[in-house]
Amino acid sequence: MSGVAGVVPAVEAVRVSRAFGGVRAVSEASLIALPGEVHALVGENGAGKSTLIKILGGRTRPDSGQIRIKGRDVSLPTPEAGHALGVWTVFQELTLLPWMTVAENLLLRREPRGRLGLVDRRRLFSEAERMLATLGIEHVDPRAQACDISLAERQLVEIVRAISHDPDILFLDEPTSSLVEREVAWLFGQIRRLRERGTAVLFTSHRWNEISSIADRITVFRSGRDVGSFTTLSEDDAVTLMTGQKVDTLYPPLPARPEGAVALKVAQLNGPRMHDVSLALRRGEILGVGGLAGHGHRELFFSLFGAERAQSGTVEVGGRAVRLRSPRDAVRSGVGLALVPEDRKTEGLLLAMSIRDNLTLSILPRLSRLGLLQHGREQGMAETQARRLKVRMAGLSSPVGSLSGGNQQKVLVGRWLLVEPQVLLLYDVTRGVDVATKHEIYELIFALAGEGRAILIYSSDAEELAHLCHRVLVMREGRIAAELAAPGITAEQVVAAAVRDRLAA
Amino acid sequence: MSGARVSRPAWFESVWGSTERRRILYAAIAAVLLFVVGDLVRPGFASLRSIEAVLVVASFVGLVAAGQTFVILIGGIDLSVPWVLNAAAILLATSSLGHNDRAPLAVALTLGMGALVGICNGIGIALLGIPAVVMTLAMNGIMEGLTLGLSSGLTCSSCASYAPPVVQAAAHARLLGIPVMLLIWLAVIAVVSVLLTLTRFGRSTYAIGNNARASFLAGLNVEATSVALYGLSGFFAALAGIALVGFGGQASLGIGDPYLFQSIAAVVIGGVYILGGRGHYLGAVFGSITLVALISVLMALNMPEYGRSIIYGVIILLLLLLYGREAGES
Amino acid sequence: MAPLSSSRRTPLWRHVLVQNAGLVLAVGMLVAALVAYVAVYLATQHRLPGGFELTSTVNNTMPLVLAGVAQTLVVLTRGLDLSVGGVVDLTNAVTAITLGDSPARNALWTVLILLIGAACGLLNGLLVAVGRLQPILVTLATLSIFQGLAVRVLPQPGGQVPEGYTALLANPAAPTSLFYVLLLAVLWLLFRRSRLGIDIIAVGNDAQASEAHGIRVRRTRILAYTLGGVFSAAAGIFLAANSTAGDATTGNTYTLTSIVAVVLGGVNLFGGRGSAIGTILGAFVTTMIVNVLFFAHIDPLYQNFYEGLFLVAAVLLAGGIGRLLGRRA
Repeated sequence: MSGVAGVVPAVEAVRVSRAFGGVRAVSEASLIALPGEVHALVGENGAGKSTLIKILGGRTRPDSGQIRIKGRDVSLPTPEAGHALGVWTVFQELTLLPWMTVAENLLLRREPRGRLGLVDRRRLFSEAERMLATLGIEHVDPRAQACDISLAERQLVEIVRAISHDPDILFLDEPTSSLVEREVAWLFGQIRRLRERGTAVLFTSHRWNEISSIADRITVFRSGRDVGSFTTLSEDDAVTLMTGQKVDTLYPPLPARPEGAVALKVAQLNGPRMHDVSLALRRGEILGVGGLAGHGHRELFFSLFGAERAQSGTVEVGGRAVRLRSPRDAVRSGVGLALVPEDRKTEGLLLAMSIRDNLTLSILPRLSRLGLLQHGREQGMAETQARRLKVRMAGLSSPVGSLSGGNQQKVLVGRWLLVEPQVLLLYDVTRGVDVATKHEIYELIFALAGEGRAILIYSSDAEELAHLCHRVLVMREGRIAAELAAPGITAEQVVAAAVRDRLAA
Repeated sequence: MSGARVSRPAWFESVWGSTERRRILYAAIAAVLLFVVGDLVRPGFASLRSIEAVLVVASFVGLVAAGQTFVILIGGIDLSVPWVLNAAAILLATSSLGHNDRAPLAVALTLGMGALVGICNGIGIALLGIPAVVMTLAMNGIMEGLTLGLSSGLTCSSCASYAPPVVQAAAHARLLGIPVMLLIWLAVIAVVSVLLTLTRFGRSTYAIGNNARASFLAGLNVEATSVALYGLSGFFAALAGIALVGFGGQASLGIGDPYLFQSIAAVVIGGVYILGGRGHYLGAVFGSITLVALISVLMALNMPEYGRSIIYGVIILLLLLLYGREAGES
Repeated sequence: MAPLSSSRRTPLWRHVLVQNAGLVLAVGMLVAALVAYVAVYLATQHRLPGGFELTSTVNNTMPLVLAGVAQTLVVLTRGLDLSVGGVVDLTNAVTAITLGDSPARNALWTVLILLIGAACGLLNGLLVAVGRLQPILVTLATLSIFQGLAVRVLPQPGGQVPEGYTALLANPAAPTSLFYVLLLAVLWLLFRRSRLGIDIIAVGNDAQASEAHGIRVRRTRILAYTLGGVFSAAAGIFLAANSTAGDATTGNTYTLTSIVAVVLGGVNLFGGRGSAIGTILGAFVTTMIVNVLFFAHIDPLYQNFYEGLFLVAAVLLAGGIGRLLGRRA
């Protein structure tokens, strides 16, 4: 099936597959994008969109299937091969070199050269300045080092870099995850300009209003393959296609709002990226935190857990004031906070160690007497927990790295449940997790709330927050910008509160 | 689906993943092979006496390697071993002045010194954020300067003292036909193994070596554990110094120098992953034996020192390539 | 099009200061060390240090400067070269036994010796980049190999470096080797702007991201180690010229002192940041400290103690200043 009669597709994926260590990330996925088309790829995290983009951008090789660029079969062993064909990508994990300046990053491999073939630094900075100004991003200082500018600025620089190569095909993986309204408007202006020029622009996003405003075509992905391609698509239909379920059955019914005692009270918390944050969380309540990346929710969670230092403010757990200087303080029974970090690979799990060791990592003091570990008790507790969470594994001794994403997440959650926390901090726990496991996690969250635990949850998926929480606090630039209460919270409300920026006034 | 395999004790599985076991086996096989080759070259090399002699010398390397194992398991390294060892040797001799009644105090003082130096290393590395290479390198210099300075280049009045007879006996004597040194080493092997596999401290060590950030977020006291591990490294370097001065009778300068390379090589040959998180001391034990056996074979071949140096390095590289290929680590 | 936000530009000087904090600190340390040296010298010798002191200081520091540059190239790629001392030993030994009276022959041998250094570096580079082994382990093993080779070449200190050669490199009569220091600094500034220089820094920043941008990471690493070997060889040649004879073991200390020079020079051991000029300054700081200790009549036996203490203090100071300027580590 080729595109509109006579038009050669800009980029085509034909039944592409790719597996990582036994897990099929992309499974016979196909995609067609025409020149001058703005094409949105939608799907849950882990549905294969990012991997497909990596394949089409030359970052990863497919196990099978064919890639066609401008109608010709090609093989892309490196991103460079893609560049030569006019394919440029802005990946989700930003690839700026942290200690090189913005200018050096922008013009990497095409620096202006002077005599002796050496880089002319004056022209380097002036050209970078010009590039940024032409595209409307002059507030980013080309002389600043990449690690010193904000996350949003880094995302803008990456986008500018890709666009400046005048691509025929541009991939943008989650380009708006940390951009406020006017920055998104800027991006869409650029996308429209590229469309007029004839570039095929493919991007991924979770925000329906963005997608519907700019996309000419939408392809839905589920479980590693494409399940439909449309010119118009309602959000409900999209969700049904993405998850394989009707929208109403995606989330279990929200339990009643509890009237329990206040389990966590935060007053005037100030710190890195946090300004005067206050909140109160009751036992049995599920409180959501929403907001763009880089706007303080990460710092909030990590400060509450003692993993980062707040500058001022008070925190009370179970009515008692606490000073949490490290996660160790938090874990010690009596305080009972537990954090499930989003990046389980770098921050959560010990991939080479066994499932059992990972499960019991936080309760080692309880499992040892005089310093010696009681392996029998450890085994028993690990078994019980793994069974309770229905972790699908070969055995408790298998390395946790051998599990699928969803099961890995269960192990991480299981570790924290063993701590028996009063307050559970869940940070983007369903990221990269398959739908079935997500369901189980939702039910678990509700069960925990029913037991009287207080839950503070952050999710990058606004839809999730809308359906899972009794209340949602939206953070913007480090402050609580909005408070939404169930029933009737919608993802739009959450996103709107997150992206509105003060300069727009 | 769980428990479908042959059941092994939980603790056994948790540390001895098959790669580690394989490498410990390789190191053991290498040691045996070296004895065989040595016997072919110089008959009598594999005699009981000869093997014993190699094992005793290997025990010195093994003691230092114990400390090195601890810090390498968390992805660190201890470059201060040479002069902590040397300082310990001199401290023991000068504080005991060769008298047995002072021996217990002298030994305690010396071991305490080693541990203290190690703790200082740990504080610099874990609390002050100084890279391990730099901190332990600097500490080596500090210990060298202090030792040379305080002993006036080993010309001080008490510097020519002998080690107390009881310490010398420990290094030379036999108990039930087995050299006491080897019994001491066996005890160390037992203690270190228990520490690593059966205690909470050991579990924390492996966890930190696997992923220090995740361990921190899981509530482990990464800093305290790290400081303790470096303290252990200093302790064992000092212990080796005591053993060496007991073995040689008097202290001298430079006795610690060969042990830096040897301890690291022994640990790596034994399958401990240089970036931390995987491996066991038993591997370093066989690694030490292999290294000393290698030197002995080369000496039996009448190879001059430079040749030993070269072959040493080549063999280490070959082993590294063999290991690297196998596990696909980078 | 309306700007996305108001432009608040940081002044250029602040950028330069923050991004080169390590270098600035090295300059500060050198100045402080020089002042201390002059003060101590004046107090004990009752006159200012003169041409002779300058000449001998520069000549004695040159090998460390070169070894430091070698280490810098490797450290920038996030590696470490423990075999520097071994290459210095080897090339020192070869220099002492091959140089003769014919300038043409000497020139040829100089080139060959530099190539020996390159070969040593190439070995390291291949093992690290292609063999995918950890640099610290590879270079620990090759150190042993190179040291063995050095002793094989020159079992006892000896050999002869002709006067003319020494005068050219490490002139005992005048501080002409400052010229070489300046040459190195200029070469570095040029190198920093060359393809390879940028690639080395990029690889040290983030090897994966560099790969994604088309930088040949393996090739870059191999070249960094190879070039490092050339500079280590230059250090050996200089050492031989300065001592006018050869010794196969005096180079051993350069492994560790080259790392000290690199750290004092503000080059980050985790790669991606730093300047060889900092290392050059760091080498001189090291020598200055030794001189200060000497003229202050500090017991020379305690020298390493003070050096070790200084190294720790320098690292802490650099870290502290970094935090003060609000940088991420």
